[in-house]
Amino acid sequence: MHKSNLIVPAIAVILGFTYFYFQAAQPLDPAEGFHLQEFARLPIVDRGRIKPMDTFARVSLMVMNDGFQTFKPDISEKEKAELTTLKNKNPRTPEENKTYASLNEKDKRQPAVRWLLDVMTSKFSENHIAEKHKVFRIENDQLLGLLALQPRPGLRYSIEEFAPQLGELEKAGKAADQKENAKRDAFDKSVLQLAHHLQSYMEIASLQTPLVIPAGKGEDWKPFMQAALESRNANQADPNAGMNPAVSVFGQMLLSYLKNEPLAFNKALVEYRSLITKELPVQSEISGFEVFFNHFSPFYHCIVVYLFVFLISCFAWVAAPTTLNKTAFWLCILTLLVHTWALGSRMHIQGRPPVTNLYSSAIFIGWGCVLGCLMLEGIYKNGIGNIVGSVTGALTLLIAQHLSAEGDTLEMMQAVLDTNFWLATHVTCVTLGYTATFVAGFLGIIYVLMGIVTTTLTPERDKSLTQMIYGVVCFAMLFSFVGTVLGGIWADQSWGRFWGWDPKENGALLIVIWNAIILHARWGGMAKNRGVALLSIAGNMITGWSWFGTNQLGVGLHAYGFNDQLAWGLTAFWISQLALIGIGLIPRQHWLSSRIAQQNGSNPAKLQPKQA
Amino acid sequence: MSEPESKNKYNPDKKPQFNVSKILKPLASLQLTVVLFILSLILVFAGTLAQVDNPIWTAVSDYFRSFYVFIPNQVFARFCQTFRWVSPTAQWPGSFPFPGGWTIGGLLLANLLAAHAIRFKFSTKRIGIISIHAGLILLMLGELITGIFAVEGNMTIEQGGVTNYLELKETSGFMGKVNGPELAFSDYSVPKKEKVVVIPNHLLRTGGKISTPLLPFDIEVIKYMNNSSVEEIDPEKNATVANLANTGDGIRIRANEKNEASGTDKDQKIDLPSAYVNLIDKKTGKSLGTYLASLWLSLSSLKPTQSVVTEDGKKIEMALRFKRSYKPFSMELIEFKHERYLGTNTPKNFSSKIKLSNENLNETRETLISMNNPLRYDGETFYQSGFLPNDKGTILQVVRNPGWLMPYLSCLVVSFGMLLHFGMHLNTFLKQRATSNA
Repeated sequence: MHKSNLIVPAIAVILGFTYFYFQAAQPLDPAEGFHLQEFARLPIVDRGRIKPMDTFARVSLMVMNDGFQTFKPDISEKEKAELTTLKNKNPRTPEENKTYASLNEKDKRQPAVRWLLDVMTSKFSENHIAEKHKVFRIENDQLLGLLALQPRPGLRYSIEEFAPQLGELEKAGKAADQKENAKRDAFDKSVLQLAHHLQSYMEIASLQTPLVIPAGKGEDWKPFMQAALESRNANQADPNAGMNPAVSVFGQMLLSYLKNEPLAFNKALVEYRSLITKELPVQSEISGFEVFFNHFSPFYHCIVVYLFVFLISCFAWVAAPTTLNKTAFWLCILTLLVHTWALGSRMHIQGRPPVTNLYSSAIFIGWGCVLGCLMLEGIYKNGIGNIVGSVTGALTLLIAQHLSAEGDTLEMMQAVLDTNFWLATHVTCVTLGYTATFVAGFLGIIYVLMGIVTTTLTPERDKSLTQMIYGVVCFAMLFSFVGTVLGGIWADQSWGRFWGWDPKENGALLIVIWNAIILHARWGGMAKNRGVALLSIAGNMITGWSWFGTNQLGVGLHAYGFNDQLAWGLTAFWISQLALIGIGLIPRQHWLSSRIAQQNGSNPAKLQPKQA
Repeated sequence: MSEPESKNKYNPDKKPQFNVSKILKPLASLQLTVVLFILSLILVFAGTLAQVDNPIWTAVSDYFRSFYVFIPNQVFARFCQTFRWVSPTAQWPGSFPFPGGWTIGGLLLANLLAAHAIRFKFSTKRIGIISIHAGLILLMLGELITGIFAVEGNMTIEQGGVTNYLELKETSGFMGKVNGPELAFSDYSVPKKEKVVVIPNHLLRTGGKISTPLLPFDIEVIKYMNNSSVEEIDPEKNATVANLANTGDGIRIRANEKNEASGTDKDQKIDLPSAYVNLIDKKTGKSLGTYLASLWLSLSSLKPTQSVVTEDGKKIEMALRFKRSYKPFSMELIEFKHERYLGTNTPKNFSSKIKLSNENLNETRETLISMNNPLRYDGETFYQSGFLPNDKGTILQVVRNPGWLMPYLSCLVVSFGMLLHFGMHLNTFLKQRATSNA
C-alpha cells in the first residue's frame, strides 16, 4: 500500500479530532468574577422537566431574539471610544486597568445566564440594566412603526426603547387576540408574538418562572417568589421554624449579584450547590452534563465537519481519488462518532429513545443516513457513499438547527406518547424507513448528475449505483412497512383502532406504497437503472410530504405544529426534486457520460438498457 | 439483477398448462400491480386531503371503505392552499370518479392470488416472498373485518357511579355510516322498568312521517341537522327568524345547522346533530307540538330529556342521544387519577380504578385502566380515553373488533418474509462481490 494513502487520512482525522476537542472545552469561571458557569449548572424545573439554569436561560433568550443563545450588552458610543483609547494606552494606571477590563467585558457577547440574572434581579435594580439589553427581535415593519422604532441591522430592541409605546402594543394585542387564527395577518401575529415574549420576560422578572426551589417532602418545586412568601408566612406563624434554607441562600445569591459583589455571590452559590447536590445528586450531575452539552453544541460542529467531508469527496472526483476518498471516509466516521455520542447524550439526559419530536427525528434521520452511506462506502469504495452521507448528514442537521429555534428540544411528551417501548420500536423503525428512502433518493440524484454533467457514469458505476439504490430501497421497504404496522399496533394498544387513516399514518403508508412501486416496477422490467433512480428521487418528495407536509395540514393526533417557513422550504425542496427528475428524463444519448462512451466506440445501447 | 419471476413470465418455451392461466395471466401481471399501487397512492393522498374539510370518518367511508368515490377538485385546492400556492379562498369546482378502497384492495388481492397461482412455484427460495404476501393478505382481511364488524363506543362513568351501557360512536361501516345518534322515548310509568322506544338515525335522516305501534303518537321530522350549534333565543333580537319549535326546550333554544366537523378541526371531533320533530297524537290526529331534540341538550347534564304528554295524559321522556348498547355487566368508578408533569398542566398519565361486576357470572373484580394499558373483557377492549370536567369522572373508549389480532400476526409474518427475502438477496450479493473482488 502506498504510504500517502494513510498519512493524509490520518492528518485529517487528527485535525478533525482537535477541532472537536477544542469546541468541547468548557469556559472557566474567572477566579475573582461571578462564577456564572457554576450558576448555569444549577438544576431547576421548567415545562415539566428538571434542567440546568443554562438551558432555561439559553432557550428563553433564543426564543425572544430569534436565534442567539448569547447577547451583546448595551455599550454607548462614549464607552466604546473610551475603550479604544484605553486599549492603545500603555502603560495604564491600575484604575484604568480596571475600567478597561470591565469595558472590554461589556464589548463581548455574554452568556445567556448573565442575561437571566440581570432579568431576575431587574425588579430590585436601580439602573434597570435588563431593560437596556437589546434582545427582542421585531421584524414586522408595521409593528416597528407602532412602537416608534427605526429599523436597524439585526432588528433587535430593548424594552427601554419601546416602553413609551407599550399602551399601543397592548391595544393591538387585544385586537389581534380576539381574531380567529386564520384571520390574523402578519402584523397581528407579530404583535401576539412580542406580547408573548414580553410576558415570558415578566414572569422571569417577577421570579414566577422557572421553579428554582426544590421540592420538600410531598411538595412540588416552587418558583422563588412563592417559596419566599410561604417561608416568610411560616416564619411569622412560628418564629422557631426559621427560613427555608434554599430560599435564603438563593435570595442571598440574587442580592449579591445585584450589589455587584462577586465574592458573596460565589460563596452563596457554593452553599446552594451543596444543598441541592445533597437532595438531588443524580439530577445535579445530569444538569451539569447538559451544560457541557449545550456549550459544546456538537450537532452544529458536526455540520461543519460534514461539509468538509463533502468538499474533500468533491475534490476526490478531480484528483487523487483513492487517497481523498479514504480521507473523506475516515473523517466522516469521526464525525459520525461525535454525532452518535451526541444522540446518546440526549437519550441519557432525557431518559428516552432517540426520537421523541420533530427535532430529534431530524438528527436521527441524519445519523441513519450517514451510517447507511458509510456502510455503502465500505462495500463499494467509490466515493458516492461519502458524498451522499455528508450531504444528507449536513442537510438534516441544518433542518434540526432550524427546528430548534422554537424552544427546548428536550420537551415533555403528551400522555399517550409517554411510552418508551413504542417510541423505541415504532418511531425508530418508521424514522429509519424515512432515512433509507432519503438515502435512496439522494443516490438517485447522484445517478442523474453523474450521468448528465460528468463523464463518470461508466457502465460499471451505473451498475453499482443501481445496486446501491436497489439495496437501500429494500431496506426502506422493510423498515417503513414494519414501522408503520407497529404504529398501528401501538394505536390498537392505546385506543383500540389499528388503523385510523390519520394523515400522518397515511403519510407513512404512502412511503410504503412508493417503495413497493419501485420494487415491483423493477421486478416487472417497467423501470430499469435510470427509471429506478428517478423513482427514488420522487420518493424524496413523498418522504418530505410525510415528514413535514402532513403537519402542515394540522390534522390529527400526530400533528406537531404549524410553520410558515416549513411550507416554503418544502415547496422549494419539491421544485428542486421535480427539476432533477425533469433533467433525468433528458434522452440518454444527450447525457455526457453516454456521449463519451459513444466516442470511445462502445455501444451505449447495449450498456444502458432501453427505458421502459 | 433480474428477478426469476419476470423470467418465468417471458419464457417463450413454457406452454400454458391450463386454459385458466390464459385468463389469469393478465390479472397476474406486475404491470397491473404497479398500476393498482399508483391508484392506491392517489387514493390515500386524496383521502388525506379530504380530511381538511370532512370528518375523518366521512373521509374513511367515502374513500377507503367504498367501491368508488367522486374526488372533488377542491381537495387539491386545499393542498395548494396549505403551501400558499393559491389563494386561501380558491374554489375549484367539479369532481372526478375514482376507484374506492374496496375496489383497489379487492383487485390487489385478485392480482396477488392470480400471480401466486400461475407464476410462483413453491420452493425454499420463495418462502420469503410467499410470507410477505400471505402477511399482506392477512392485513387486508383484517382491515375488511374491522370495516365490517368493528364497533366503537364510549363508556362514561362518574366518580363513584355505575354504568352498564356504551354510547356508540358514529363510524363508517362496510357501506356507509352507522351508529348515528337516535331519538329515544322512555316510559317510566311502571316503576323500575324503563320502557324505551328508539327511532334509529337513518330514519331521522330520511325524514318524513315515522309511525310505530309502540308509541301513542307519530313522529314527523321537520328538519334534521347532521351537525349543529345551539344558542339561546333572545326574544327581542331574533324575532325576524321564525322558530320551528313551539313547545319544550325549543322555545328557549334554537339549533342552527353547521357544516359537518372536519378531521382537521381541533375543537370539535364529532358531529352534534339536532332535529325538529312534530309529534302527532294517533287517536286525535292533533299535534302535541313541535319539539327541538338535540344531542347538545342530552349532553348537558342538567336535564338531558324533555317530557311529552299525550292527549290521554301519558308522560314520555324524549331525547336525541348517542346510540346505546347495554351490557350484561356494569362498571363502577372507584378512583380517577390525573397526573401532570411537574409544575405544568400538561397531562402525564390518566388512570381509572374500576370495579367490574357481572351478575350473570357472579363475578366481581377490581382493575386499573390507564394510558397504553387497556382492559380486555368479554370480547371488548376498554381504553382510557378522557375525563369529565374537573376530573369528576372517566371516559373509556370501548372497542369490539374481532379482527384485532390479525395485524399482529401479519406484522410478524411480513417481517419474517422481508428479512428472509432481502437477507437472501444481500447474501448472494455479498458473495458475488467477494468472488469478483478476489
